[in-house]
Amino acid sequence: MKTDPKTFVQDYHLNGCIQCGMCTGGCPVKFRSPLNMRRLVRETSSTANPSSLFKRPELWACTTCSTCSLRCPAGVKSVELIMGIRNFLANQGEVPSTIRDALENTLLQGNPWGRFRDRRADWAKDLGVKVLGEEASDTLLYVGCAPSYDPRVQNVSTALVKIFQKAELDFGILGKKESCCGNEIKRMGEQALFKKLSKDNTNLFKKSGIKRIITLSPHCFNAFKNEYPDLAIPVQHYTQVLADLIETGKIKMSKASDVPVTYQDPCFLGKQNLVFDEPRKILTSIPGLKFVEMERTRQRSLCCEGGGGRMWAEGSTEGTRNGEIRIKEALALGAKVMATSCPFCLLTLEDAAKISGMTDRIAVKDISELVAEALEA
Amino acid sequence: MGEIFVLVEHRQGKIRDITYEMLGAGEKLASQQGTSSTAVLLGHHVKTFAEELALRISKVLVVEDAQLEHFNSILYQKVLASLIAKHQPLLTLIGHTAFGMDLAPSLSAEMGLPLVTDCIGLSFEASRLKALRSIYGGKVNADVSLRESQGYMATLRPGVFRPAVPGEKKGGIIIEPSPLHGATDIKMFVEYIEAPLTGEDITQAEIIVSVGQGIGGPEHIPMIEEVARNLGGVLACSRPVVDRNWLPKERQVGVSGKTVKPKVYLAIGISGAFQHVTAMQGSETIIAINKDPRAPIFGVADYGIVDDFQNVIPILREKTKGTK
Amino acid sequence: MNIVVCVKRIPKTAEADIFIEKDGRDIKKDHLVFYLNDWDGYAVREAALLKERYGGEVTVITVGPEESKEVLTRCLAMGADRALRVEEPPDLDGHLTAEILSAVIKNQSFDLILTGVQAEDDNAGQVGVELAQMLGLPHAAIVTHIEMTGDKARVRRELEGGIDEVVELKLPAVLTIQTGINEPKYVSLAAILDAEDKEIKDLGTGEIGLSPGKTPDTKTDRVFFPPVTKTAEILKGSPEDVVKQLTEIIKKKKGS
Repeated sequence: MKTDPKTFVQDYHLNGCIQCGMCTGGCPVKFRSPLNMRRLVRETSSTANPSSLFKRPELWACTTCSTCSLRCPAGVKSVELIMGIRNFLANQGEVPSTIRDALENTLLQGNPWGRFRDRRADWAKDLGVKVLGEEASDTLLYVGCAPSYDPRVQNVSTALVKIFQKAELDFGILGKKESCCGNEIKRMGEQALFKKLSKDNTNLFKKSGIKRIITLSPHCFNAFKNEYPDLAIPVQHYTQVLADLIETGKIKMSKASDVPVTYQDPCFLGKQNLVFDEPRKILTSIPGLKFVEMERTRQRSLCCEGGGGRMWAEGSTEGTRNGEIRIKEALALGAKVMATSCPFCLLTLEDAAKISGMTDRIAVKDISELVAEALEA
Repeated sequence: MGEIFVLVEHRQGKIRDITYEMLGAGEKLASQQGTSSTAVLLGHHVKTFAEELALRISKVLVVEDAQLEHFNSILYQKVLASLIAKHQPLLTLIGHTAFGMDLAPSLSAEMGLPLVTDCIGLSFEASRLKALRSIYGGKVNADVSLRESQGYMATLRPGVFRPAVPGEKKGGIIIEPSPLHGATDIKMFVEYIEAPLTGEDITQAEIIVSVGQGIGGPEHIPMIEEVARNLGGVLACSRPVVDRNWLPKERQVGVSGKTVKPKVYLAIGISGAFQHVTAMQGSETIIAINKDPRAPIFGVADYGIVDDFQNVIPILREKTKGTK
Repeated sequence: MNIVVCVKRIPKTAEADIFIEKDGRDIKKDHLVFYLNDWDGYAVREAALLKERYGGEVTVITVGPEESKEVLTRCLAMGADRALRVEEPPDLDGHLTAEILSAVIKNQSFDLILTGVQAEDDNAGQVGVELAQMLGLPHAAIVTHIEMTGDKARVRRELEGGIDEVVELKLPAVLTIQTGINEPKYVSLAAILDAEDKEIKDLGTGEIGLSPGKTPDTKTDRVFFPPVTKTAEILKGSPEDVVKQLTEIIKKKKGS
């Protein structure tokens, strides 16, 4: 898999660029980093030796939110260019040390956190969850790495399990056989490792006989839906499933607390995969919940800076994090809860609330946690 | 039966603690086997050392030579090889230290004597030497036996064996002639380099909050450093954290870093490998946070929290805000 | 400058659950992930850096089972030029490993031999320095810095308490390499897949000119979990409860 930077112009349609600046204009890290997509496209297409441009730490600041590619009027594949550059660098071993660790951990232990594979499903051990292989099911709940190992996100996994069980939705998890979906791996530049993960996972899914996949994370949703070449199994994000369960009366929620709640559209669910309505349907179905919309919403949602390997590297960014800006925006609306539907949004926004010292004024919660609370009440 | 040799380890004018620990271990083994133990002291102008050692052991063999002023494994090995050939000791004890690791394996290969390293226990079963070792990062112990031999070698882990205490009787000091004929040019001591003192001196702190590689990544460090400051203490770490460049070397608590004795040592995500424990076990109170209930650190700590630090530290940070 | 690096494939036990085999002679390893010993990784990287600076070839050798080839492949991806595996005999210890390596290496041409200070599984720290003696070469253990000066190597050895010792050795020599000597470089899967095409030579112990009758000096009779002598008092309760107890303890022990 030899990446030759000289083919980038062709691979990513760089010659179509009209230098309008829509990409940089929409880039969520432009105020925090010297990363300038418009300039990068120009420089890459006009130099004979593009690889000289690539030893820049700001190339690792990109969150792969894809706003640039989605907005480009000329069909330039900007975010794909970043991923191609990172692939070129990774193949030579030129990645930040924390990215190195995340990639090596994924190859060895099946998760970028380097946690022991055999403990991947420990979070579920007392929940009476089916493990595929030991028991059969048509539906796979694909949990993901952060929801398996991160203590904060494990609450989300647990909440979702409880909701599915209450709704009598039959499902199973892969347990310790589950490996990273590879979405972030690909975005950190490891195309070969992504290829291996997608092949191994596809075979595993097919062997387990499942007929549908529900993911907890929009990142896994994106990988399975859009980037696994041979996966012929339908994939849904859990918000799509919950919205349906609510509509068909399988989930009954009693009164929630009377607080204003706003919602952060995750980049990998919202702007990239156009799932905007289902999370809102769920929230507005929770009795008593006052839903308020932030100004930068839906396609314009401000990236939390969790994607694209940013959970493992800062890419030399400086200044106020986007998460803190979002928390301020939510507070200005009078919101008391920031709802999310992505583990990375959950972690970065909650961190931001703590850093801003605002945890007594606003709580960050996953939609599944809100629904689970409303079920119990 | 041959005696038990204990190689005295000294550096820059001081006898190192491992020596006294080996004297204690050697004496115990010698009395069990019905033999005696002997300190073997190599150096230049080491008469005062010999006097000090003679208070803790019945015999001190001294080899004085200008070439032995600084440790040089080639010269030490030459001297020891001739002493071992002459006296045929049952067992030669050397410290499992930077000096010992540079010397014992090559000496054992030269003499054809079986060697067991980094021992935390030693015993004889009839005439066969057996050792206790700590392996797999301290999670498992191993009983090891050596092949039958007229003589054995073992290196001892520092900080484990009870040191010999000075007694009333003074042992004999015997000067052995040096077998060296001048210097060696294939390996030469050049100099010692002390670590420069930059930034915070963690050895002076009363409260230390220390992180290990169990925290998973450097992004958690600012929060933990805040906790350290809130408690009026300093941030420190174990070696792997320095190897990964998450923190500078001056923050390292360990055998190859700094030894600390604060009032409170809070170890976060530190497994408790002995190279680290050795350097902080003198702390008055040790508290460990680790998600692995089997982590060796819990055998050293006074208090423990078995949980992921991410469940605990954020709350600790909130609670300690404004208490400084 | 031709360099030989001796490496070992070991199980990753830091984050793992450990179980003892029924016969008590070793831990269970089927569920463990294996990889290149951390110290040896630094040694291979150091060899690659020396090669960049001074030219020459890097050969990696391991004594191990068939599966050890995967760490040799990784070393080839890291910049080694040749790889050799000697089939491990049924009973192996540091001493016998050194004998085997010595038999293989003495017929090679080299300027420098590197090993890691120790292996993460048995932490014996024995092979490199014994190997030096068997080959009749000077050595330095626990090296944190290497400088070549003509036919000599000036190295820093890490002593206790933050002090380093500087020694100068005549080449060829054996150095055991300490962690942190360099910054490990990421080894991409693409590089590893490319390296899988390179040849790894397999040798049996009968083919290396090892004198007959070489046996291990030590034998592991039994492994077991360390007895619980002292235990920490484990704080119980919810994270909030635990933190409350923790702050009280710290306040009390802090004193004034």
